[in-house]
Amino acid sequence: MIVTNRAAMFAITFTVGYAVIYAICTEFNLPLLTYHPVTGEVDFLSKPPRSGPAMYWYGWLLTALIGATILALATTVTPERWMQRGITFGVLAAVGYLIVYSVALFIYDKATIELEFLKSRWLSAIAAIVLAAAVSLFTPTSWNERVWPGWVWVVPIGAMAVLGYYLTPYFTR
Amino acid sequence: MVFWTSLLIVHGLLAVALLGAITHQAVALWWPVRAASGSFVARFRAVPSTSYVWAIIVLYAVTFVMGAWVYTHYRYTSRLALEQLRFLKTVGLFEVKEHLATIGLIVLPAYWAFWRRPLSADYAEARKQVTLFLAVVVWANFLIGHVVNNARGFGS
Repeated sequence: MIVTNRAAMFAITFTVGYAVIYAICTEFNLPLLTYHPVTGEVDFLSKPPRSGPAMYWYGWLLTALIGATILALATTVTPERWMQRGITFGVLAAVGYLIVYSVALFIYDKATIELEFLKSRWLSAIAAIVLAAAVSLFTPTSWNERVWPGWVWVVPIGAMAVLGYYLTPYFTR
Repeated sequence: MVFWTSLLIVHGLLAVALLGAITHQAVALWWPVRAASGSFVARFRAVPSTSYVWAIIVLYAVTFVMGAWVYTHYRYTSRLALEQLRFLKTVGLFEVKEHLATIGLIVLPAYWAFWRRPLSADYAEARKQVTLFLAVVVWANFLIGHVVNNARGFGS
């Protein structure tokens, strides 16, 4: 399906991009600002707590907002088919990374010899990107067009799954 | 304290209104009425889904902003008490709520795009999926908020 309305393209890309960037911001703690609720002070970027706890959530929201807006604006001047293919590539790369890295760690644990390189996140990321590029390049255009609007809820669910995984210590301690 | 409690109650009331609107819309969309009937359930399913769109968007945004405001007070009062009492699951549930609320908020632009008039037949499936997704997020957040509030309930 081809969306003729640029506003719809912007909205779809914004949602998908925001979900991914937000998950990255929370994992790597990349807030645009830090709020100190006890004193009401606001710091630029990530700062440690002082006089009570520090809140980074608002900062993550802003970082992701800026990132997703730039991404969505960029897609409004990008040919739609490329954008659809790009989102498919991004999703495949993310899922591929999870699979490749999990398999690499599994092999590392079971191997009888030391295979230190398998613990490298970069190696898994590169492998996932190559795989995703190969698959998305050969994916039929019609398939990309059909699944494209569905990423709007699939990608946020994926982001939520990642965020939920990082919260498991609260429920297992 | 009265201010924050009032804010929390207003946040809760808005959430109830949002819950009603999104549930109405999701049910009408996924389980539409085929034949006219006078039963309560049939009337519940027979609402015009399109008329709820802006109400849902505005209610979600306002409820989110109020929740984000109350969050500042929660962070250095209730949460500290919950951590001292080792109520870690409750704290964790609130963290889940924080992320779920964000995910729901960012789905709104796409939700709006799919529900734009005239409704596009191309987006019929996407419209159903996103509406259901939003309904699940709202329900989950409502229930989590209820449970979390019960841990250090009103006046505690």
